[in-house]
Amino acid sequence: MNRRNLLAWVWGVIVCLLLAHSAYLLMSDRLAPDTDILALLPVQERDPVLQKAVTHIVASTRQRLVVLVGADDWEQTRRAANAYHAVLAPHTELLRLDDRANSWQADESLVGRHRLILMTGSDERALKRQPESYWINFALSNLYSPFAGGKLAPWQDDPFGLFAAWMQARAGETRIRPRDGRLFVSEGRRQYVVMLFTLGVSAFSMSAQKTLMPLLEEAQQAARMAAPQGEVLKEGVILHAAAAGAQAQWEVSIIGAGSILGIAALIWLTFHSLKPIAWIMLSIGVGCLGALSLCWILFERIHLLTLVFGASLIGGAQDYGSYFLCNRLTAEGQKLDSRQLLRRLLPALTLALVTTVVGYLALALTPFPGLQQMAVFSALGLIFAWLSVICWFPALVRNGAVTSAPAVKWFEGSLWRWQSLRCRRRLLWAGSLFIVAAVFGLSRLDVQDDIRLLQSPPRHLIADQLQMSRLLAAPAPAQFYLVRGPTVEDLLQREEALKRRLDPLVEKQIIGGYHSMSDWVPSFQTQAARRSLIEKKLLDEDGALATLARRIGAGSQWVDSTRDRLRASGLALTPDEFLSTAASESVRHLWLGEVAGGHASIVALRGVSEANLLFLRRAASGLEGVQWVDTVEEISSVLGRYRRYMGWVIVLSYFAVYILLYSRYGGSAWRVLAPIALASAATLAVLGITGQSLQLFHVLALMLLLGVGVDYGIFFKDHPRRSDPVGWLSVGLSALSTLFSFGLLSLSKTPALQAFGLTMLIGTVAVCLIVPCFDYETQQKVGEPAPLAL
Amino acid sequence: MKIGLLICALTLTAVALVAAAPVARIQSILAKPEVLCGRFDQTKRLVGLKRPVTSNGRFCVLADKGVLWRSLQPFSTTLRLTRDQIVQMQGQRVTQRLDARREPAVQMIHDVFFALLAGDLGQLEKFFVVEGDVHEKSWSVTLKAREPGLAQAISGIALEGGVFVKSIAIDETNGDRTKIVFSAIQTGAGAITAEEAALF
Repeated sequence: MNRRNLLAWVWGVIVCLLLAHSAYLLMSDRLAPDTDILALLPVQERDPVLQKAVTHIVASTRQRLVVLVGADDWEQTRRAANAYHAVLAPHTELLRLDDRANSWQADESLVGRHRLILMTGSDERALKRQPESYWINFALSNLYSPFAGGKLAPWQDDPFGLFAAWMQARAGETRIRPRDGRLFVSEGRRQYVVMLFTLGVSAFSMSAQKTLMPLLEEAQQAARMAAPQGEVLKEGVILHAAAAGAQAQWEVSIIGAGSILGIAALIWLTFHSLKPIAWIMLSIGVGCLGALSLCWILFERIHLLTLVFGASLIGGAQDYGSYFLCNRLTAEGQKLDSRQLLRRLLPALTLALVTTVVGYLALALTPFPGLQQMAVFSALGLIFAWLSVICWFPALVRNGAVTSAPAVKWFEGSLWRWQSLRCRRRLLWAGSLFIVAAVFGLSRLDVQDDIRLLQSPPRHLIADQLQMSRLLAAPAPAQFYLVRGPTVEDLLQREEALKRRLDPLVEKQIIGGYHSMSDWVPSFQTQAARRSLIEKKLLDEDGALATLARRIGAGSQWVDSTRDRLRASGLALTPDEFLSTAASESVRHLWLGEVAGGHASIVALRGVSEANLLFLRRAASGLEGVQWVDTVEEISSVLGRYRRYMGWVIVLSYFAVYILLYSRYGGSAWRVLAPIALASAATLAVLGITGQSLQLFHVLALMLLLGVGVDYGIFFKDHPRRSDPVGWLSVGLSALSTLFSFGLLSLSKTPALQAFGLTMLIGTVAVCLIVPCFDYETQQKVGEPAPLAL
Repeated sequence: MKIGLLICALTLTAVALVAAAPVARIQSILAKPEVLCGRFDQTKRLVGLKRPVTSNGRFCVLADKGVLWRSLQPFSTTLRLTRDQIVQMQGQRVTQRLDARREPAVQMIHDVFFALLAGDLGQLEKFFVVEGDVHEKSWSVTLKAREPGLAQAISGIALEGGVFVKSIAIDETNGDRTKIVFSAIQTGAGAITAEEAALF
């Protein structure tokens, strides 16, 4: 082993270790990327109770798959549903049908012991206000109604219909009803069987998605065969995860393969030889390998969107290798060997790496775990590619190994077409034109911080979701009230106080309704108040019950026994007792129980829309222990806050990079930064003119543009003479490969990545076009071809 | 062996035909008028009440529209069932309203009630197991709910009739019994009073 090659050997061993680790990950099937969209969103660190509430709600829906099979008559619907289920039934390890057809009916013993205290808010008010005659008439009309049967309790156990009305209200919380051993909903003539599946595998496992999706498709075909006019609607986290996963996988391969091919073609055009292609691919390969391997060690899993974003890394990782090779071209004349060449290039290469890595790490300053992972992945990839160039290229690339192709001559010549800054009149014109266009574009730029930037589910999933939320009238998962109290009794009383504010909104049909524990288990205070109301108005010596008995010709003995039975059904009910029954299934996810030294619960809402958010927020104001939570709004506000915050970070970064550059270039350091600043302004102007809204991801891309653009400035600055076009060649190669990567990224279906790619695309082109204009030595050359107009 | 199977299969088919026969025959006996009105007398025997609770009134069944059920004596209350909603009224005042958009069971309640009064056994078979006898022009059937939730509350329903349904008896699982007898049945446009028609 040669001492001079020691570095190359050491790096070789490290790369072998990376290879072994990646192979291990691949073999043990741990490389399967994460597809959980929520993993990209910030964690609420401030408030553990709020965090628990959010995870509680998320966990209750994550493993769910809801399928509606519908047709115009019940027989067809059932046939289609049976056909659908028959396909899935054998796969119990994947998913199981929840047959909860009867669980909405209250528990027998629960009803028997606590019926008396269960009544609707409006009946409670009626008990206070309405005269006895109202209740007697109500009891009589119930008695003479032919519907005596089918009620949940015999007439004598609930003569005034209080419990029946309460039960009706509880049943009204969902539109799903049992029918023929199935669950069903209807809308107009359309009848649907509702099937609630629970997944036995993680919704975010790609292998589970790949087995389940074709099965669901097959089941859907079977349902269509059974009822050709029927329809199938589905909703579930796994559907979104699978769609996002398939989309991202497609994008990874397109961006990856596209960039690789593009770069290979570029290098071929430059050097007309296969060896440089192999060297550059080697450095890119080690970069990707290192990023993957270390990222997995750091995060224990890799998000699929990280890979999509990471695929655009290929364009950046080739910069160092091609800069080295381009310099090798001119080094031939100067009789430098590769080792000496590297020593000469090292400062520029290091500066280029540091500025780009700093650009990427700015992404890691945001609280979005997904962005942090993307940033670390990209930075690691660049560092590993850079190290490969430093350690291997001097050993691999011998003197005279590269020659330039004819295309290079033409490209180098193109530099003369650029106008230099010295032409004052033309500069004035170009400058003012630029300023007018930039001001016009910037003035048209508005901002957008919507959560939808992070995910863009396929249209058919959104359509299904909309239709199902109308059919099932399910509560909103993203907006709710978080209620807290030192004791369970306080908590229930606070829920009731909140509900008194919500009742008018329900009455005016501003919202559909609400779900809470206190609907099922009133506070002790309310339970006691209801008991005394019933005693006074209905059970009193000459109350409604006694008068009712006279009207139907029943004796005092009947009155006494009925009164005793009613009183016996008025025992105090606690949440703990209720939670131990099957009837509590529908509210279990609302009860957080004991958290952080107190008790907390969720009040969920039906029929939440953009239009009524303001009313809902206002309803919570001034109520002790009640907090309005809008997770969508919260994420949007985080996106907005970080958009502004990152804007300032960029401004500061310009100063920091300037100081860094000043140490090397002194007074002309501004010439490296000015093109980037102008390109950023131009990019924003283009976004404004094309009607895009500014969002966090544009701003983040501008940060990265600073990192990448500085490379160009440095490459150029180190080869300022136009007779020495290595800088221009390196910038050209680098810019074109960046264009491949980020150009392809701008085709992504994820709006955030698309915005990022597009900004980088426009920005890189602009930097590339502007950089030569800040090359100040041109005018000192005499006898060169006259520059043409810009 | 094969012949044995064949005979077995034929017998099973025959049994199925016999079982299905009453429903078809009863359907052929029943009249299916557009408008059917009449008087009802209802007797309820409730557990713990010595005296039965009796009431009477008028009812109308309008094909494609719904059912009107008016208790007149001793307590006046009106029930109107359509596929879209169930409304209970005292005089002109609505005391209870169930909307199909909020309560999907409304359609089912309407369908069952309509079929009971019209004797539409084909419809009733969707919700109940139907067994019955036919003697010339009169028939009787018993219904057992298919839906476990309904079977929990109602142990059985018995229908008797001829050209029209004559009586309905409902047995609840808790021991309460309701018997409704129909009489003075009229059909055709003149059967319904102007006051009743206005309620639809």
